[in-house]
Amino acid sequence: MSAVISARGLSKHYGKSVAVDNVSFDIPAGKIVGLIGPNGSGKTTTLKAALGLIPFEGELTVLGMDPRTQRDALMQDVCFIADVAILPRWLRVADAIDFVAGVHPRFDRVKAERYLAATKLQPSMKVKAMSKGMVVQLHLALVMAIDAKLLVLDEPTLGLDILYRKQFYQNLLEDYFDEQKTIVITTHQVEEVEHILTDLMFIREGKIVLSASMDEVGERYTEVMVGADHLAAANALKPIDQRTVFGKSVMLFDGVPRIQLATLGEIRNPSVADLFVATMKGSYA
Amino acid sequence: MKTMKWLLRREFWEHKGAMLWAPAVAAVAMLVLMFLSLAFALSKGLFDGHLIVNGKEKVMHFSVADLLSQGGGVAEMVANGYMAASAPLFIMLAAVVFFYCLGALHDERRDRSILFWKSLPVSDNETVLSKVITAAIVAPLITIAIAVFMSVLMVLLAALLCAFHGVNMIGPLLSQPAFYLTPLQIIGLLPVYVLWALPTIGWLLLVSSWAKSKVFLWAVGAPILAIVMLKWVDYLLGVGLDLQWFTQNVIARGLFGLVPGVWLPMEQVNPHAMVGAQRTVAMSAVFTQSWMTLAAPSVWVGAVIGGAMIYGAARLRRWKDEG
Repeated sequence: MSAVISARGLSKHYGKSVAVDNVSFDIPAGKIVGLIGPNGSGKTTTLKAALGLIPFEGELTVLGMDPRTQRDALMQDVCFIADVAILPRWLRVADAIDFVAGVHPRFDRVKAERYLAATKLQPSMKVKAMSKGMVVQLHLALVMAIDAKLLVLDEPTLGLDILYRKQFYQNLLEDYFDEQKTIVITTHQVEEVEHILTDLMFIREGKIVLSASMDEVGERYTEVMVGADHLAAANALKPIDQRTVFGKSVMLFDGVPRIQLATLGEIRNPSVADLFVATMKGSYA
Repeated sequence: MKTMKWLLRREFWEHKGAMLWAPAVAAVAMLVLMFLSLAFALSKGLFDGHLIVNGKEKVMHFSVADLLSQGGGVAEMVANGYMAASAPLFIMLAAVVFFYCLGALHDERRDRSILFWKSLPVSDNETVLSKVITAAIVAPLITIAIAVFMSVLMVLLAALLCAFHGVNMIGPLLSQPAFYLTPLQIIGLLPVYVLWALPTIGWLLLVSSWAKSKVFLWAVGAPILAIVMLKWVDYLLGVGLDLQWFTQNVIARGLFGLVPGVWLPMEQVNPHAMVGAQRTVAMSAVFTQSWMTLAAPSVWVGAVIGGAMIYGAARLRRWKDEG
């Protein structure tokens, strides 16, 4: 069993509209995959299918199990934070820890309490008395203390300030992640996750338009700060995106050798955000 | 088993206010009210009857002592009937559990916390079962405990007040076997209650897991609409539908099953069968008659249909896309 998630011809229709369109991919163990796409591109639908929350067409196995029929067994090894999920208002911090410790065999209470100690949350606090950020902190503390093989994070840091976001991703990388674990993460704050990702998946209109490791992405895509005198030569190489910074053209190339590009101007690795914007051009048109 | 324990605890945390504090506060309020009014009445001698016959007032002293002198009659009556004082608590229980069931699978969808619960290794069947157990067993047991506690306290307080006025009720009361049997019989009625409550619990949970909003309207409005529509069909086509049967056996069972003792009118138990030697209700006869309603097939049919609706609710929770 090499792939943690394996999809073959995965589709999901909502009435006549297609949310996920005949998608195939494999996510191997020990990866942190960024699933990135504009709103309504089908990323949440894909994740929901993998988590056994919705029926779908095609083939999809998660940890070797079918999420439709083996969801109960699957959830022993999978944990997730859905983008819209919130904790119930009546829940107390201490009760939440007791409950998860009671029902989850892989929950580490000490770990959860350690995460919470770094916040302002008190054991007797109820969710309804918390700020939005505090609710997320509690949720993350609970989920991070679960030793799951697959962790799915759909917009996990929504509503958190930058200090806590940075700290969360640091914890995720240093404290949680190891080669036995797999993390799938979707977020709009691409800049904050790009340095922790090992793999990248772009999804657009229900189709996967890019699936590559970060190393491959680095090899394939190059950003060049083109001097005015090289513009014609650069355009001949068909840049996939172009913008102007301080009077200089910044061009993004796909699959053009770096040695060749280096003659045109200063080269560097594009950010995932720039790559994303270039790939998704016209998505909302 | 361990998971179920935590699921039940979870339900209790969420509904502690309605299931524990509300009946507890009501019980205390009833105790205080009873104590004050009884103390007031006794101190003013209000239990003496004032009778006006042909314009002349006559004061009749029928003290409790007189009543007691008729033998163990009053003590027996009280020992059999003292739990009746807690009837308001049981009516409250029906209302609390009714709204608990309506919200049980709907609130978590409305506030989206369902996605948190579903991220834990707890199956939908277990979750729904924990809610059924809470509605059918946990909540009634809490109310029974509070009701017994309150009723016993009330009787003893009343007896104590009487003792201050020279009448000893405590001895005769405590020597009545019914005094101890009544609470046990009420607990012994729980299985009957569960079976009769299942159709209602099932219907409410089904609506709760299905309706997007306005669960109460769906749960109560849909059955009423069904009656109205059937009446129309019956009127227009003149097919002679037995609407009374439909209302009594389908609608009423689906909506009123949570009311304790609903089985007595449902199975048309003869009230005379439950009257004891003192022309008052005999608890042991109520107990026997209640269990005898299980001899009729209808309650079992209802329970099976209720079970099917509970299963349907669990399936809906499993597959409904919460966006």
